[in-house]
Amino acid sequence: MPTLPDGSIRVEHVWKKFRSDKTVPLFYEQMVRLRRSVGTRGKSGYRWVLKDVNFDVQPGESMALIGVNGSGKTTLLKILSQVTFQSAGSCTVQGRIGALLSVTSGLHPDLSGRENVFLYGAVLGMGRADIRRKFDTIVEFAELTDAIDRQVKFYSMGMQMRLGFSIAAFLEPDVLLVDEVLAVGDANFQQKCLQRIGEIVREGTTLLYVSHDLASVEASCDRAVWLSDSMVRAQGPTAEVVTMYRTAVEQHSALLTTKEGTVEVLKAELRATDGGQLRSECEAEVRLTLKAPEEVMAGFYLGISQGTAFPMFVIDHQTTMPAGEFEVVCKLGYLPLPKGHYSLWTAITGHPRGTKDPYLPWQPLLSFEAFGPDRMDPPEGVMALSPVYVGAQWQIH
Amino acid sequence: MADLLPTPYELEVPDLSLIPDEPPAAILYQHKVKMRTAVRTLWDHREIIYTLAERDFRAQYKQATLGVMWAVLSPVATLVIFVAVFSRVKQFPTQGIPYALYAFVGIMCWNFFASSLGNGGNSLLSNKALLAKTQFPRECFPLETMLVNALNTVISFIPLALLFVIFGRAPALATVWVPLFMLIEVLFAAGLTLAVSSTIIQMRDLQQVLPIIISLGIFVTPVIWPFSFIPTNFHLFGGTHLAHHWVGGITVNLQVVYGLLNPLGPVIASIRQTMLLGQAPSWAPLIAAVVGACGYLFFGYRIFKRFEVNFADIA
Repeated sequence: MPTLPDGSIRVEHVWKKFRSDKTVPLFYEQMVRLRRSVGTRGKSGYRWVLKDVNFDVQPGESMALIGVNGSGKTTLLKILSQVTFQSAGSCTVQGRIGALLSVTSGLHPDLSGRENVFLYGAVLGMGRADIRRKFDTIVEFAELTDAIDRQVKFYSMGMQMRLGFSIAAFLEPDVLLVDEVLAVGDANFQQKCLQRIGEIVREGTTLLYVSHDLASVEASCDRAVWLSDSMVRAQGPTAEVVTMYRTAVEQHSALLTTKEGTVEVLKAELRATDGGQLRSECEAEVRLTLKAPEEVMAGFYLGISQGTAFPMFVIDHQTTMPAGEFEVVCKLGYLPLPKGHYSLWTAITGHPRGTKDPYLPWQPLLSFEAFGPDRMDPPEGVMALSPVYVGAQWQIH
Repeated sequence: MADLLPTPYELEVPDLSLIPDEPPAAILYQHKVKMRTAVRTLWDHREIIYTLAERDFRAQYKQATLGVMWAVLSPVATLVIFVAVFSRVKQFPTQGIPYALYAFVGIMCWNFFASSLGNGGNSLLSNKALLAKTQFPRECFPLETMLVNALNTVISFIPLALLFVIFGRAPALATVWVPLFMLIEVLFAAGLTLAVSSTIIQMRDLQQVLPIIISLGIFVTPVIWPFSFIPTNFHLFGGTHLAHHWVGGITVNLQVVYGLLNPLGPVIASIRQTMLLGQAPSWAPLIAAVVGACGYLFFGYRIFKRFEVNFADIA
């Protein structure tokens, strides 16, 4: 077999099973295991958390793993970093692996920040001399110059996280595996982390990135693999895979709307006022036909999202809601969306943050395509949170 | 230059219905680790062992007012109790050696062994967080714990020296052999600790049983009694003694058998013989101890490597 160049990852038909979540006493299970190992082999209590996963990553590429909780992302990273082993298939990572599976698990609470830099650095695979050389950079990056001789148990959560990430950020591996570690930490530090990850990738490190934060995935990865129910559902360019993922999440979350409101939606429609396609910057209107049991004061909410329950923007209007069947028309003077797939959400409540149940709980009504220019890319290392399109004229004098 | 250009990525949507329920048997993963590779990898990661040991050693005394002083103070305290108690109780024959000194040598060896097994056996569980998140060889955890205990044992040479002074004696010249005997103990302890730590993860019952076994062990091992209590020729299978002729049966040197099973016995005996009495060690049990210790280490390491495949999954 030809050896792969440093920094490449090859995953071929990887399967992983975990023991099933039975609650029988372990003793019983041991007896069963014993009997099975003596007698014939039978199928027993386990479940597959990864099924036939295949992908390749070339040196210097950055790839994201996305998927809902429990879809096997972390397990895959653990197999790649050899923390655990696959049950079947083969998986090769060439070169030095830097695995950042958790930011703070390597820190010892009783030791000082300084001692922890050396400890965690060594645990992650850095040599002592190496750490000594980078010590000042690490501490400065973590913004902990004043607190470095304090015991880590007296650090705040954010400080611990900053220390952990900073140590890992200066590892210089061939392959960097990052698992959802930016979730803590304030906005400033998150920004700094993303920038640092961008820098690492530019220096030629292969990146495999797991995150639920799709904006940061789009900001830092060329490719994405979508894991769902332990299988690869799609892989390819980040934007396309992320769109597929969002659509699936949206369909799922529509099913999750459990509470029934008292208001019924009979018809919902979103169209361009001139009757044409929905385009960026066009004038659009939302038409809802609703049926309400009684006349009350109510707030109407409309939001547009990219597949999740979190909208990019919300429009609201407080008014009297008539009883019986009625139509609501909302004119949007300007559709601030780049090309893409979106969904329209709505809710009707009695009070803005009411104590009563809403008349109509927040739910997606319809999804639509918007045509127009592609979303503009932010500079490297910057997350664009909402894909909002703003037409602009540039002049350079 | 063509391969330097970024490859255009195609969107691939695999057909999920083609994925079977179970992986084909041909690709099932076999966890086979060659011993030589394992040892080499471990050697490459030796710095991690030092660092983790340093972590534990520092953390142990971190918030104590007296700090690292305790490393010396606690064995001295043990010593005081020793001298006080053992000068009053019924004593075993010690060939003229003060009993406190005689027993302290045994206790020192035993403490290293017991704490290695006790802490090292649980080391994988107590380092769960690291075990599930980092990738270096798992042997580092039990071995690191042993290193800390070794350090504590070396420190307990200070009260040992004090004992020599108190009783107005000097260690014999043959003491130079002691590190070698200690090495046998280290090999034995490492083998057993590796086996126990990897088994504890699979079967937590052992975690409860281990302290019981350890507290029994101190009586089974010649810690407070002399090794010479074990007969050198023991008649198996009803051999009868008729006017200096053996009739039937087999004669067994039980010390050798004991040394194979529990290398700690000959180790303690040899340290006493050399350091306290200035004699040569009895070779037969000692060689048995070497063989036994190497066997424990070999099989302990094998067991560990065999079990390590699912440490991170069930820890």
